[in-house]
Amino acid sequence: MTEIIVVTSGKGGVGKTTTSASISCGLARRGKKVAVIDFDIGLRNLDLIMGCERRVVYDFVNVIQGDCTLKQALIKDKRIETLYVLAASQTRDKDALSPEGVRRVLDELTAEGFDYIICDSPAGIEKGAHLAMYFADRAVVVVNPEVSSVRDSDRILGLLASKTQRAEQGNGGVKEHLLLTRYSPRRVATGEMMSVTDVKEILGLDVIGVVPESADVLSASNAGIPVILNEESDASRAYDDAVSRLLGESLPLRFVDEPKKGFFARMFGG
Amino acid sequence: MAVPPSDNSKMMTNKPADAGRESAIDIRFGQVGLVQVRIRTTDPGAILDELTGRIATAPRFFERTAVCLDLSGLEKSPDVAEVRGVIDAVRRAGMLSIGLTTGSLGVEALSGALQLPVLSHFRAQRESVPTVQEAPQPQPPQPSESAGLPALLHQQTVRSGQRVYARSRDLVVTATVSAGAEVIADGCVHIYGALRGRAMAGAREDTTARVFCQEFHAELVSIAGVFRVFETIPPELAGKPVQAWLDGEKLNFSRIGG
Repeated sequence: MTEIIVVTSGKGGVGKTTTSASISCGLARRGKKVAVIDFDIGLRNLDLIMGCERRVVYDFVNVIQGDCTLKQALIKDKRIETLYVLAASQTRDKDALSPEGVRRVLDELTAEGFDYIICDSPAGIEKGAHLAMYFADRAVVVVNPEVSSVRDSDRILGLLASKTQRAEQGNGGVKEHLLLTRYSPRRVATGEMMSVTDVKEILGLDVIGVVPESADVLSASNAGIPVILNEESDASRAYDDAVSRLLGESLPLRFVDEPKKGFFARMFGG
Repeated sequence: MAVPPSDNSKMMTNKPADAGRESAIDIRFGQVGLVQVRIRTTDPGAILDELTGRIATAPRFFERTAVCLDLSGLEKSPDVAEVRGVIDAVRRAGMLSIGLTTGSLGVEALSGALQLPVLSHFRAQRESVPTVQEAPQPQPPQPSESAGLPALLHQQTVRSGQRVYARSRDLVVTATVSAGAEVIADGCVHIYGALRGRAMAGAREDTTARVFCQEFHAELVSIAGVFRVFETIPPELAGKPVQAWLDGEKLNFSRIGG
């Protein structure tokens, strides 16, 4: 059975594409057949983060408009056997997406036997974001621990509960998960940043992952390697935990508390 | 009118969201604020004079404003020609008559002759109109009658940008009302979660309606159109179970249970 997961947030720059890339890698590494689709038509980024930007010949819009077959447009990842990328078009705008077209592509991927389809939503609540979430079974709402991101996520959660196929058909709605990114335990401790508990309480949802603020995320993006593949990084471990939780495992949250300083560090300053 | 300054033109829209094609029309139920002009004379000159004087204070506000004529203040029921004269005077003052209010004798006949709809009054009918009893017409449920309808139960979080409206009844929300969300009822609003958004009770001017919540962080609370915006939450109310009620024109807030 194919599961469609939308990665969305409302607000821009919170880490949707980074999350889409890492979650799809994480699922594919566990042997799942995964397609990740960039819905941000006109501002394509996912291919850069995935490091396949020089191999994009055909894109999502080409498939929808019938310029090529889905097989031609799917870019096979070089690192993980079962991972495929469907890039956004850089030259079109969001009006090139149609509900029928998106449905056709998703149906075809389902028929191809994909286990997971990850839809990387654009920011905002316009057409691109709407179509990215419309057919979803589950949603990963990416939120930064700050008020405007939390507010936008709340709005998105409202749309997930009303403007999706599952909501309209009334069969249980879209299952929602919260993923906190750019989390800094140190700044939470000093009261500059909202805590996991604050965000959980306001949005009333369980958290499937807390990704710490990390310089590794930026360098991974620039290198075109999803950060989850950088095993040295806390961000990688946090994303891997999130993938496990998506698959139903229950793990304690890591990286939410400030690391305790050891005796020597306390004595001599760490 | 009944609802505070937010956009109240689409209280409840139940449009089947269709990601596919757009349909040619959407039929939606909506509640809009409407200016009502209660006339005490049918003399067009007097009406025009007074309207022009009032409008001068806020000219843009009344430009092409839709108005509903309330004839219940007249001594005797007017004839068609008189009402035509009134409508003309209102039009010359820059406003457009779009209907007649219920509650006066012969209004149905006038409605037919003038091709104007009869719009029902949300407010309780005024006692000064003895003819009301003689002309039984379907009236909107009075506040006391609304108790007969079971409350509207809403069990999901009301998210930012969402709006829940309980028509002619109480609203019970068993979850949180997020910042930027609105919960509205013609009766009372009960929230068994945190209230971070806006709550409006007595949307049809039932002054006995109240707002109750389990955890108070409201942006705005309104009862029968009297509202208060909370830029900062008073510390004695913040996060506490709170109720709000109306005493005359004053909106009161207090903690529930100590």
